Amino acid sequence: MSTPQRRAARPRPAHKHRGHSKADCLKILRGLSAYLDDDLAGNVCREIRKHLGACPNCEVFLASLRQTITLCRHVEPPPLSPAAKIRLRGQILKAAGR
Amino acid sequence: MATRAQGHAGKTRRQDGADAASLDGHLNAAFDQLYRDHVDRIFRFAQRLCGQAEDAKDLVQDTFLNAYRGLDRFRGDAQLSTWLYTIASRACLRMRRKRKGEPERELSLDEFIPTSEGEFRLQIPAGGLTPQEALENKQLRRALDQAIQRLPKKYRLVLVLRDMEGLSAKEVGSVMGLNERAVKSRLHRARLFVRKELSAKGLDGGHS
Repeated sequence: MSTPQRRAARPRPAHKHRGHSKADCLKILRGLSAYLDDDLAGNVCREIRKHLGACPNCEVFLASLRQTITLCRHVEPPPLSPAAKIRLRGQILKAAGR
Repeated sequence: MATRAQGHAGKTRRQDGADAASLDGHLNAAFDQLYRDHVDRIFRFAQRLCGQAEDAKDLVQDTFLNAYRGLDRFRGDAQLSTWLYTIASRACLRMRRKRKGEPERELSLDEFIPTSEGEFRLQIPAGGLTPQEALENKQLRRALDQAIQRLPKKYRLVLVLRDMEGLSAKEVGSVMGLNERAVKSRLHRARLFVRKELSAKGLDGGHS
């Protein structure tokens, strides 16, 4: 009696989105910081812009990454008070043996 | 009666003493100027790194104490501010290591790659606001501070130096002893980490 043959696992179809695969998206995501920092060659930038124009997912991702960087750039911690500045200076000089 | 040699030695010692006093005077004046000009910047940097004002003060103290001790060896190859960032970064690495003793976590790019459409489309809850307005939202500000603090320190240092202190990738490399490629790679991972943390919070976006 023959044992039932297991079906060979079929490769999953690649994620398709408006004419590009998920692999294209991943490639774009890996270069987004360089793109935002203007660190890429012109032809690579053009390729990314073309992809972004056709891929709303990557466009939203880019917008959120840009927003993250903008927020980081605008965080202003409270300054050191003049009294704390003087106190710290004293502590430093004392520790330095001056 | 003092011999000629003794007299010469005494004179040399006095001269040495005067030179040392003069050097001390120069060193002290140079330190005072350094402290006046850079303490605000280094405190801001320290707060961004440590999150807590008291830890930041410890870091400032450590930084300027090391700067005082090394000031006479500063050769002027780098800007004073870059030199201070370098000292502060090293002091920060030492402080954290002492306190936590935990191994550094590596951030893999794969952990930030969205696996679903929903993850792709996560958004930062600050839409339509200027960055200043968005940061007035205490929830968002807290989430951002926490995200930065949760970054492993070698990534946090790169993000703070590049995106918050505004250094170029080359300057960050010089502070951290890394090449530009490594700086950019860490920076990208750090940004993706903070983006993911922020967007996953699902903040209400209202001002609290």
